[in-house]
Amino acid sequence: MTTPQGTAHAWRVVWRITKLNFKARLEYRGEFLMGVAVGAIWQVSIVVFASVLLTRFPGLGGWSSSDVLLIASMRMLAHGLYVLFLGRVQYMNLLVQEGIVEPCLIRPMPVYRQVQLAFFPVNAIGDLVVAVGLFVAALQRSSLDWTAGRIAYVVAGVLGGMLVEAALFTALAAAALHFPATSYWSQWLEELMGTFGSYPLSILPKAASAAFTFVVPLAFIAYFPAGVLTGHGDAMGVPEALAVASPFIGLTAFVLSRLLWNWSLGRYTGVNG
Amino acid sequence: MAATTGTPAETTTTATAVARARRVAWITPRGELLTPPRMTATAVRLLVQVCLVVYLWRGLYANTDSSAGLNETQAVGYAVLAVLANRIRGLDRRAGRDTVIQHLHFGTIVYWYLRPMKPQRYYALRALGDQLYGFGWVLAGYVLCLAVGVVAPPASLAVAGVFAVSMLLGQLVLYYVMMLVDLLCFWTLRNEAALMILVFAQNLLSGVYAPLWYFPDWFITLSTFLPFQATLGVPLSIYVGRIGVDDAFGQMAIQAVWIVLLALLTRRLWDRAGRRVVAQGG
Repeated sequence: MTTPQGTAHAWRVVWRITKLNFKARLEYRGEFLMGVAVGAIWQVSIVVFASVLLTRFPGLGGWSSSDVLLIASMRMLAHGLYVLFLGRVQYMNLLVQEGIVEPCLIRPMPVYRQVQLAFFPVNAIGDLVVAVGLFVAALQRSSLDWTAGRIAYVVAGVLGGMLVEAALFTALAAAALHFPATSYWSQWLEELMGTFGSYPLSILPKAASAAFTFVVPLAFIAYFPAGVLTGHGDAMGVPEALAVASPFIGLTAFVLSRLLWNWSLGRYTGVNG
Repeated sequence: MAATTGTPAETTTTATAVARARRVAWITPRGELLTPPRMTATAVRLLVQVCLVVYLWRGLYANTDSSAGLNETQAVGYAVLAVLANRIRGLDRRAGRDTVIQHLHFGTIVYWYLRPMKPQRYYALRALGDQLYGFGWVLAGYVLCLAVGVVAPPASLAVAGVFAVSMLLGQLVLYYVMMLVDLLCFWTLRNEAALMILVFAQNLLSGVYAPLWYFPDWFITLSTFLPFQATLGVPLSIYVGRIGVDDAFGQMAIQAVWIVLLALLTRRLWDRAGRRVVAQGG
């Protein structure tokens, strides 16, 4: 059982490694700045696309432009936090191919944590800068009364969204321990999130929005929490209680994905069997 | 034609060269055919992406007949063709560890210079294999989309012919743009960020995310000075009828100019890149 001192020591180690990783990325100043730019530009692409759609077309699936902006900004914030804290799990297929998992198995630190400490995600800085900018713009355009309850729910919704995204990529990383070609699936998942995670899923047919709720749960990242905040109620295609529970569902999904990861890691045999 | 009229030695040499070229071009398709999960992923991904794009654009046009001069049929057709065409070079060569940046990272780029084939020829043949294989997927997807009616056929034979030529020119521009990015790796060894920015620029400015017609005027003007819209935006606009056949020839001339400029630039860069390669350890 881990003692409080042990936990504090573990976090000190994490902090020291993160500082070293950050310094290491700073060694290549040009690449560092480009990395920040990548995150920012990637997010700006979503802003550009969203603004083109919102200015050229009258509303989207019964949602006003300010409500759509809230979905997009919450998803971006959730994504930026995911990239910052848990995003390295997406590179699992490369770590398996390059045989980097094996030394991780004999070090006195959980493998999942070691993967997350592999390098500092510079692009997360750019992601978060644009995400915060868009979120502020969404708040300015919003006509909602921002009570303490709503503020707390936004925070919980964003954290829940981060955990949903982390859960999906952790599940794929568990598969990558045995099938490194899963990079196809993770690229696609990222593409789906970028394209459809920022819009009301009510524009899609019921089968497609159900798939994005119960198969690949993109709806829980931002669509449901934003829908709850903006009062779309049952019009989101699920009972409102389920939409309200999005942050809790994100946490549950992440715990389940970690259990899957532990189970897969226990059966890891390396790429050569 | 040395293969039919030359001496037996010349005939053998030509035949060997052709067989070698075929084998190099065949690397990617063979790699894909031997990994059914990757092929399944490609098929499922394309199918789902096309369906979702159709729903998205139909949803957007639910309350309007025309936007930026495009009606629903044109917009849906353009978006679907963009998804399909984007798969032509969407193969995962990283899985085979045969990208330029990976070779530079692992120090194996030196082998490209030790083989009995010039690196640029190897690069071109690999790209040809990739693009022909990707084209197979695109063709299958296109036929399926035509059959179910989400893409309308070209308005006339003339449009189809001009589109085909423009698409071919666009693929050549794309080939050179991608090569330019790969060649930059010889100078900037850690350039994943630059690669991602260029891929993003390619997708945004070629009209993959959304047709350029929807963007503000300043954005359209800016994109005319860059090669990206020549890769997909021009041929797809010809297909859906946003660029007429008469105007298409001017656009195709611009595509050709980009091909010549990029070919000259990349040729020079190949020469200079070769001088930077040293065996491991120097």
